Amino acid sequence: MLRLLVSAFAGMLLLCAPAAHAQFGAEASASKSGFAFPKDGAVKILVFRPDVSVGEQSTGGMNEPNAEWTEKARTLLAAALSSAQTRRANELVMMPELEGDKATLLADYRGLFRAVANSVIAHKLFAGNRLPTKRADFNWTLGDGVSALRDAGGAGAPADYALFVYTYDSYGSAGRKAAQIFGAMFGVGISSGVHMGYAGLVDLKTGELVWINADVKMGGDVREADGADKRIGQLLEDFPARAGAVPAAVPAPATK
Amino acid sequence: MSPRGRCPALLAAASLVLSPIAAQAQQAQVKPIPAAYQPESAEERGLWMEMDEAERALKTSRFVVRDPALNAYVRGVLCREVGEDRCAAVRIYIIRTPHFNATMMPNGALQLWTGTLLRLRNEAQLAAVLGHEFAHFEKKHSLQNFRNFRGKTDAMAWLSFFGLLGALANIGILGSIFSFGQDMEREADVTSLDYMRSGGYTPGAASAVWSQVIAEGDATALARQQKKRRHQGGGFLDSHPATADRMAYLGELARKAPVGAAGPGIEGVEPYRMAMTDWWASLIDDQVKLNDFGGTEFLLGRLAEHGWTSELLYARGELYRTRAGTGDFEKSVDFYRGALATERPVAEAWRGLGLSLLRTSGAEEGRQALRHYLEIRPQAPDKSMITMLAGG
Amino acid sequence: MRGSMKLLIAAALLAAPTAAVAGWKVMAAGAPVAVAKSALTVTPGQNWNRSSSRPSKKGEMWTLDGLQLNELSFFAGIAPGETILKDRKKKDRPLPTFKAQMLAPEIVQLFEATWRITLDTSLFEIDNVEPATLAGHQGVRFTYHYSVQGDDLRRNGEARAAVINGQLYLINFTGPAIHYFPTSVEEVRKIMDSAKL
Repeated sequence: MLRLLVSAFAGMLLLCAPAAHAQFGAEASASKSGFAFPKDGAVKILVFRPDVSVGEQSTGGMNEPNAEWTEKARTLLAAALSSAQTRRANELVMMPELEGDKATLLADYRGLFRAVANSVIAHKLFAGNRLPTKRADFNWTLGDGVSALRDAGGAGAPADYALFVYTYDSYGSAGRKAAQIFGAMFGVGISSGVHMGYAGLVDLKTGELVWINADVKMGGDVREADGADKRIGQLLEDFPARAGAVPAAVPAPATK
Repeated sequence: MSPRGRCPALLAAASLVLSPIAAQAQQAQVKPIPAAYQPESAEERGLWMEMDEAERALKTSRFVVRDPALNAYVRGVLCREVGEDRCAAVRIYIIRTPHFNATMMPNGALQLWTGTLLRLRNEAQLAAVLGHEFAHFEKKHSLQNFRNFRGKTDAMAWLSFFGLLGALANIGILGSIFSFGQDMEREADVTSLDYMRSGGYTPGAASAVWSQVIAEGDATALARQQKKRRHQGGGFLDSHPATADRMAYLGELARKAPVGAAGPGIEGVEPYRMAMTDWWASLIDDQVKLNDFGGTEFLLGRLAEHGWTSELLYARGELYRTRAGTGDFEKSVDFYRGALATERPVAEAWRGLGLSLLRTSGAEEGRQALRHYLEIRPQAPDKSMITMLAGG
Repeated sequence: MRGSMKLLIAAALLAAPTAAVAGWKVMAAGAPVAVAKSALTVTPGQNWNRSSSRPSKKGEMWTLDGLQLNELSFFAGIAPGETILKDRKKKDRPLPTFKAQMLAPEIVQLFEATWRITLDTSLFEIDNVEPATLAGHQGVRFTYHYSVQGDDLRRNGEARAAVINGQLYLINFTGPAIHYFPTSVEEVRKIMDSAKL
């Protein structure tokens, strides 16, 4: 716990440190080579409870979570997610709250997904820390045991995929923006606001991670409906398409 | 609470660093918290939301001790001192962590660490710890604390423009962030005495908690040939009133009003020991594996004040055998033999005895002890290894 | 509390990935390679990645998919009085040290205490201990499982150790109990079998 706290504190300081993230592309995605949803038929996607946090960044760089913003963002992002998915003709099911052993299993897989996502983000998506043996292909999995969660969404057909969404926003306060300007005068880089997120899609039959997208400088004000749409659009950029269909509507930026 | 034994001040600060909340320099209104209390301000709602998310994770955590009897006992102590109505606002989570601490989240989730349960000696001391945490909750200390904390990190961002001087100033500010909150700790301490009195507990128990902490810390330091870690009060990154100060003012307050309206307070030694019956062995084992010879030896001595049980003698054998210093194996042999001479001996003492004898002059006797261990523990996880050491 | 702690850490990782950057080198399948700056060699059955950051002066770490998912570590030539892992908190939470005459069960105890203290967890259990050889020397093989607070993923582990010429040699593998540990444990056992000194 002490160790965690110290890293958390270090993390906080890092966030106020001179823009360290400028050394690599802020945004990247990857998917299993050749992956596409089947051309026709229903595709049912189970959405894990989105990890959403919205707050305000104080002058010192510290995040103050805001319940209203977070709640609003959660609702707006869910709505944006549904409509985005509807456009892609996939059926979306929100993961209900589970009890007992099922809850533990779910927590285990959330934990495993986090570990896998962290590894992909650290070792695959961005330059500087890539694992040489993983350079060529995109091959990450939660294991086929994840199929035990196919029926966790409740009645109806078993789900085919699981979608994990994570967003973290900390809006720069007036004080933080002032510090940014003041810092610039002295040649000290101070970033104002943190907006990052990632989304991942797991095949619930095989456990394979078929697609992931991470972005440490996201756009879209998640506190507004339009912004939430834009955010979901960015998170689902390059989201796998139906076989034979034209890939995602949003054009890919040049950084990739 | 968060004493200074191990990683204390920072732990208390954890809730501050990690439960950020919007800051305004206003004092929170302090009034009793009813069961159905809901957060009032936007910043308090933000804090609660973060904490509710954290609590969601606790619901499936493997670290939460779910033993219904132990949980019911701990809750019963809190309810007895703060009243059924107010304690309904609190959820208690007993966390399997071998250190001495308890924390209170602003939404009413109280975390009590098993290392605390191992160190307390009676129900009144448990009431002191729970009452202290409840006072933080009722007086909304997290909220006030965070407002202050935020103000200080803001200052840090400004200071960091100024090179080395700035860096030094940062350290100062860091220190003052973590030393913030002494008044609150004291307020919680004092309030907890009132709870204890109304629950019929002897208020002197609160002071005793801290004298135990000091004595254990001294024992740890002595065995490590380090200076005593007392330096109470001036410690860097110390958010709490000096342990010795606390012991003193709590003792003084208890002496001034030694009993509540209901008459002389109880200590509750026996009920506490009974409630912990199923847990002593595991919690002692967690402690023995911390590589803290002095502190552990001290704790075992304290736990044995009503007699050395087989579990305690076995643990002491393990402690000496793993330290493996000059004469330690011989001493551990005596402890294991003592453990085996009790009415309900711990089977693993045969294993410890055998291993220690192998390291002294009694190899053949050691092999016999190991064979005996395997006879009474045929499913032991180290069966095949011990079989080999026992001579096949 | 812990949830938001993780958030901050995740935030730090995402915002400043350079903080966690290590150099990586491929350990090629089928090629014997010396590990942990020692004469101990092993032969991997598939390609692994070796991290440039070390768990101690006498240790090194390999992974297939990331250290959080599969971590294979080697420790070679630990002398009496030395710790297995870096003794980062020597003053407040010192690690136990290796001692020359240690018996196999004591090596396992040393490992358990070291990992409990370093990971700061009490949920760590040894599941099985049996005789084994390492690099042709009599030693011990043991399995265990643990969880770390704030993470809550159950991880499994398996290790092999031997005292050779009065010094401790240890190969340890750990990964999430779901999928990752079981998938690679056979490969790891072959690597442990391939150890030569």
